[in-house]
Amino acid sequence: MTTLRSGRAERPARLNWRIRLRRDRSLILMTVPAVLLLVAFNYVPLFGLVTAFQEYDPLAGVLNSPWAGFYQFERLMGDPLFWGAVRNTLYLSFVQLILFFPVPIALALLLNSVLSLRIRNFIQSVVYLPHFFSWVLAITIFQQMLGGAGAVNHFLRNNDIGTWDIMTDPDSFALLVTSQVIWKEAGWGIIVFLAALAAINTDLYEAAAADGAGRWRRLWHITLPGLRSVIVLLLVLRLGNALTVGFEQFLIQRVAVGHDAAEVLDTFSFYYGIATNDYSYGAAAGLFKSVISLLLIWGANKLAHAFGEDGLYRK
Amino acid sequence: MGMELNRRNFLSATISAAGLVAMGPLLSACGGGGPSRAGVNSGSGLNAVLPAYVPNTSIKPDIASVAGGPDVMTDPGFLSYPANRVATVSGVPGKGGKYSAVTPLWGTIPPADNAFYQAMNKALGVQLEMKPADGNNYNTIIPTMTAAKKLPDWIDLPAWWNSNFNTGGLVGNQLADLTPYLSGDNIKKYPNLAAIPTAAWRAGAWGDKLYGIPAFSTGYKIAGCIFYRRDVLEAKGITADQVKSADDLMNLGKELTDAKAGVWAFDDVYRYFYTAFGAPLKWKVDNGKLVHLFETQEFLDAADWHRKLAVAGYIHPDALAGDNAGGNTRFYAGKALIGGGGTGAWNLADHQSGQAANPNYRRGAFNFFAADGKSAPRVDVGSATDIISYFNANLKKEQIEELLAVANYLAAPFGSAEYTMVNFGVEGTHFTVENGAPKPTEAGQKEVQAQTYPFLAAPSAVISNQSAPNVTKDMTAWQAANVKALSKPVFWGMNISMPQAQATADAAQPVEDTLKDVIHGKKSIQDLKDAATTWKSSGGGDRLIQWMNDNVLQKFGTGQ
Repeated sequence: MTTLRSGRAERPARLNWRIRLRRDRSLILMTVPAVLLLVAFNYVPLFGLVTAFQEYDPLAGVLNSPWAGFYQFERLMGDPLFWGAVRNTLYLSFVQLILFFPVPIALALLLNSVLSLRIRNFIQSVVYLPHFFSWVLAITIFQQMLGGAGAVNHFLRNNDIGTWDIMTDPDSFALLVTSQVIWKEAGWGIIVFLAALAAINTDLYEAAAADGAGRWRRLWHITLPGLRSVIVLLLVLRLGNALTVGFEQFLIQRVAVGHDAAEVLDTFSFYYGIATNDYSYGAAAGLFKSVISLLLIWGANKLAHAFGEDGLYRK
Repeated sequence: MGMELNRRNFLSATISAAGLVAMGPLLSACGGGGPSRAGVNSGSGLNAVLPAYVPNTSIKPDIASVAGGPDVMTDPGFLSYPANRVATVSGVPGKGGKYSAVTPLWGTIPPADNAFYQAMNKALGVQLEMKPADGNNYNTIIPTMTAAKKLPDWIDLPAWWNSNFNTGGLVGNQLADLTPYLSGDNIKKYPNLAAIPTAAWRAGAWGDKLYGIPAFSTGYKIAGCIFYRRDVLEAKGITADQVKSADDLMNLGKELTDAKAGVWAFDDVYRYFYTAFGAPLKWKVDNGKLVHLFETQEFLDAADWHRKLAVAGYIHPDALAGDNAGGNTRFYAGKALIGGGGTGAWNLADHQSGQAANPNYRRGAFNFFAADGKSAPRVDVGSATDIISYFNANLKKEQIEELLAVANYLAAPFGSAEYTMVNFGVEGTHFTVENGAPKPTEAGQKEVQAQTYPFLAAPSAVISNQSAPNVTKDMTAWQAANVKALSKPVFWGMNISMPQAQATADAAQPVEDTLKDVIHGKKSIQDLKDAATTWKSSGGGDRLIQWMNDNVLQKFGTGQ
């Protein structure tokens, strides 16, 4: 099996751990700060999850708050608003997977085919830029352009064409947020694909061209296979994050389209947990989301391995 | 001061928008069921300990206060800054003690240990280390201090965050009981504190004991009103007294909206108008039965009126898109001509910003009227202040007395020598006098402009907009014209601490969310009815009403 996998080194023979420790000492030392940060800010706070099984009272603290068992989860399961948030999250995630995920790949391929380095750098800078804007700014720009009092509607109104109510229409909200995500993040998303493209051996293209392969053939047989492992990796991560579609973007537009359309799991935790002092309920919703996410990422990784890809780690 | 009041009101509005508190501590709720709660202020119990009220008569306002019902009066107006700066404190109040103080600040934090702080320390006779903290994150900064039991000696806890801070659980526990020092005639030792009206002390009282020191108190505390562009409307021949009913207001929408020109008549007004339909602020007692706002027909009527306003296209699209922060800009630019807001929005800074956009700019407020145009207008008053400071429970008796003497200095009346020092600093260094009014120097703007000390203690509010006396005249006239409409709602000033489950039901997030959709024309009144019904049955609403009835109404009455 392994022989069929191109470009993959054989796993090195197991060495004695002392020898490996001595060999990798400096590398390990270099990772220590990052690991410490991870432990301090990602693992230690996990302790707070116990509040999901309590009636948490900030004044009493975690240790003195009364236990509530699975009461918060029972409330969650019976809460139609929670299920509405789950439904929205999955739907938006699905729409973004279909409509957003391919965009950076296509953009990267397009950019890669531009020969002039100067034009390429220019385009790259332009499409990167929105990534550094905050959501507040991004949505303000959308509102200024497409909002009811924005430039487009102002033009339409003054020419008696009627108005286009895209910013406050709950039915097309999924398309709106996806286009916002594309505008803001697609440029940033191409970085990793450009790096992968640069790693493809150019000899292959020359050889293929010499054999009479056209543009599409080269794309199909050389470029895409070269990107495959990166695409699969990102797809696995994307699936694992399927329940995390963003927070600020929805928080800001929640009033505009109404909570029925804009409530996602993160805003649910915020409004029904933190904003109403119902911390344990919010923690339960967050924990529920984390468990499902873990299952998703595990499943997606399994699937990647089944297809012979690396996934998150090499098996 | 203008900016700070603006921001406070903005924050207040944001919070009520999030469904946390309707109006300051009126119905503040405290989280959890663990530690003991201070409970509720009862009528007779609290009356027995409230401080005596001895008004200060040394400085006469240009426009005197007009009394309304009990505990209701307009703020006195000053058209110019008092020329003769009377001293109200003799000697130095402190005895050299060393203390720390934390206050919220919406603006640039002044440099630590600056010349103004040093001058204040000298004037106060204490080493008071001021530690202003970012107002926008104040609600998350303080709980970390209380969780670690590391509160400073003196701290400001704005009442609109009482539920976040669990103030009802902190008093007597981490915050000092001031009843022995201030109750009844004891307060006369501190004449400037005694000049703060009694109603303000209720806001800082918990379980029939005095804990908080009020600042910026007013006898005219209301959620807000409906503002309009007086210059624009009067140019069209529309005056405020022509608008006498909800229908009149709706008709203005048609008359003023010109979408092609980018002008809409309205911004959101619901929150400042729903009580005009006869809906209670949150609670009412009907023939002895406690009724929640969501159970009333008037609530639905008010929402339906606003829904029609939205559907008719009279509300600015950005407001419908939830952009509240841009409301002022729309108002200044004349893109939205009528909008609801807290009365704190009406001040010198507003006047200056408005005139920068349009030299004719003039803010006006409609008189209060009942929606049907026939009933007597009625507006609920809130507790007299939201800005309340507390002492650390670890302070000794002498220390509390020393800090109360300092508070007495800080609460010196408007225009006095002490007030000038606290608000403007040292003459020559921090301000110069221009046309009779103190004008901050560069050093003053850096070190003094930001409000710090007044958040610990301040005299009751006055209306004063130096360099724009017309704003003061407009405001005092409007207050006086409407003072009769102000009345106390049920449970006024009772500082109710309720268990977590009730507090969550009280916030009623699902209903608030649906309400927003309805008043923006996205959902029907039936949806709102359904949301209210669901809230009652499975959202804890019925249990909340029961709890309020059993633990507050039956035990302590309405507090009116």
